[in-house]
Amino acid sequence: MIIRHSWIATLALGILVAGLHGRAVAFPIDGDQTTLPPKTELNEDALDKPREVFHSELAGGKSYMINLGNLAFSSPGILGGVARQAAVSCGTCHVNGAGNAKLFMPKMSTHPGNFDTTGPLFNPKADNLVLDPVRIPSLRGARYLAPYGFDGRMPSLRDFVHNVIVNEFAGPEPSPVILDAIVAYIQDIDFLPNPSLGPGGRLVGKINDSERRGEALFLKPFPHDPSLSCAGCHTPSGVFSDHQQHDIGSGGLFRTPTLRNADFNAPYFHDGRFDSYDQVVAHFDRVFDLGLSAQDRQDLAAYLTAVGDGTQPYEHDGAGASLKEINDFTTVLGTAIPAGDKDIVSLAVDTIGNELRELTEQYPDHKNTSVTGGEQQRVLARNALKELVLTLRRIDMAVADGRIADATTDYRNYRYLMAAAVPSVLAGAEPWSLFNSKVHDSHYAALRQVMQSKHAPQ
Amino acid sequence: MGVEKMIDARGAVCLALLMLATGLRATFAAPLDDAAETYRPYMIEGIGQALAGARNLRERVAAGDLTGAKKAWISARAGWERSEVFTAGFVPELDAEIDAWPNADSGFHGIEARLFGAGRTDAGSDTDALVEHLDNLHGKLRSMELTPQGLLDGIVRLTYEVGESKADGGESRISGTSLDDMRNNVAGIDFAYRTIFATALKTADAKLADAVDARIERLKVIVAARDLPSIDIPGLRRTTEELVITLQSASAKLGLQRATLEAKSQ
Repeated sequence: MIIRHSWIATLALGILVAGLHGRAVAFPIDGDQTTLPPKTELNEDALDKPREVFHSELAGGKSYMINLGNLAFSSPGILGGVARQAAVSCGTCHVNGAGNAKLFMPKMSTHPGNFDTTGPLFNPKADNLVLDPVRIPSLRGARYLAPYGFDGRMPSLRDFVHNVIVNEFAGPEPSPVILDAIVAYIQDIDFLPNPSLGPGGRLVGKINDSERRGEALFLKPFPHDPSLSCAGCHTPSGVFSDHQQHDIGSGGLFRTPTLRNADFNAPYFHDGRFDSYDQVVAHFDRVFDLGLSAQDRQDLAAYLTAVGDGTQPYEHDGAGASLKEINDFTTVLGTAIPAGDKDIVSLAVDTIGNELRELTEQYPDHKNTSVTGGEQQRVLARNALKELVLTLRRIDMAVADGRIADATTDYRNYRYLMAAAVPSVLAGAEPWSLFNSKVHDSHYAALRQVMQSKHAPQ
Repeated sequence: MGVEKMIDARGAVCLALLMLATGLRATFAAPLDDAAETYRPYMIEGIGQALAGARNLRERVAAGDLTGAKKAWISARAGWERSEVFTAGFVPELDAEIDAWPNADSGFHGIEARLFGAGRTDAGSDTDALVEHLDNLHGKLRSMELTPQGLLDGIVRLTYEVGESKADGGESRISGTSLDDMRNNVAGIDFAYRTIFATALKTADAKLADAVDARIERLKVIVAARDLPSIDIPGLRRTTEELVITLQSASAKLGLQRATLEAKSQ
């Protein structure tokens, strides 16, 4: 224990002093030896990522269950073998609870942003032998959006999550606490606020003429069937959905999706066939013979854009954002270590360790040709993050052996490093990291060049 | 206790441990130095194999023999990967030249992209440079100062690296030989540890030595998987991290500084 204290203090001091002087598996997936099909695009190299707005943050802070749910949501370990091997978690498709419009997996997708949940890759037993991918939905506001599934077949979010883990991704039967935690996490993700939406879902504030005309068209009965209107299903309210299933000429009965935050939820329709509101409006005009003029279509698209807006939807991916999420995950250990909860500690250590390893790769090593300069800073950053990974593993080993006091000491040391020393060192190395857009672009351009050599005509 | 006092106290403990470590160093210094020298011929042999493979590669490239060039590349690569225990720490500049990544313009991976990716043999200047760098390294090995600390650091660093995710196809994804890289890395780790440190650690702390042995054996089983997608990735990560931690614990028992995870920048 004394040894741990000494090295951690030395390390913290060392990296702080040096800092004063002085972001899969984030590659394009390719080659013959990958778990996921070659040319899979996970959009992991995006510098800007969707941002979560948590309900509980407005209420004073996230609970243990919400943080545990976020952790499990980010853990490949709760899914089946293929997903675990490929480091795929719930968060791979639902980035920070939003959708992943760029995700494309050959054999499982037909369009960026859709995915065959009954395909052959992750659970062959659930394969329906038909390539029928569905749009990856955003989870924002999910607590208001029952029933669940693109066809609304599941009234319970808990049952839906269970189905995803066990059937779609062949994971082991999750413990009740993990299921409850994931549900708590999902239910805590709010819609992004939209100041243009007032009571009853009406547009308020500074609304332009096109949006106002679009709103009137949205409310107007369809000419050939006055019992129908856009608003008849997308009921203007806090949710813009009637929670019912309808046939809108897209190939079956599908649940009415929310229009809230839909600006960020493309592609549209159950299978993600449309990329824009213009295409969506054109579909309804054609199927329901609405007789819309070009101006009408434009006005409806403008209205949908106004309803689907939200403030602060993205955050720039930097060390700070990663550390904030890692720190949220780490709070789970503060409860699980004293309780001697081996399973939760292992899940946390594996998941946080993965995150820290991914963060390490944001600081290129000495062999990386994409960046010059800042060698000392990069070494310090990589070293500090690796030390954190090992500190976590020591905690896992200690709890597994019943050495709770040792684990508690290491947890304290970990928190000590994360409080100041590590953020300082990472900030010092940021100019030479992949968080710098120039370094990022150079790195990925080189990677893609390597990958393209594989597909060049010979 | 305030932070400053905590750090002071930890600094004092650190000094005390340093003195203790210095005493231990005296006990183990000579045997470990001798053991490091015992390792030298194998270092020379490993890089010698990489050099022979690179020379053959140069000939096959010059002859426009794509199949032969690919075989020679794989052979050269095997010797190199077994040697990574010491390359990053002792010759970082050559390490960066020979194993540069991800840019496809130089080193092993530049040639890999040409041969295995584009299916072409116009890599004459790259193979010339590879031979030159490996020859340069081969020459240096005879007189290079070998320290047990540097070699333990190298084993620890490479062990940590082996645990990194290979979900994207790994380091040599174009040739599809990343699993070979891992196996050769583990073989290099195993051999270097057994040659230099195993005997001394068994004497100092037999239980710790057994823990190292068990984890190296587990690693060997993991990388014996039939192909890269079959590797138990979570198990690999866990085992490598546990091995690093065990080797770091062994550092003090061997009279060495705690093994570090990154080579110092030059």
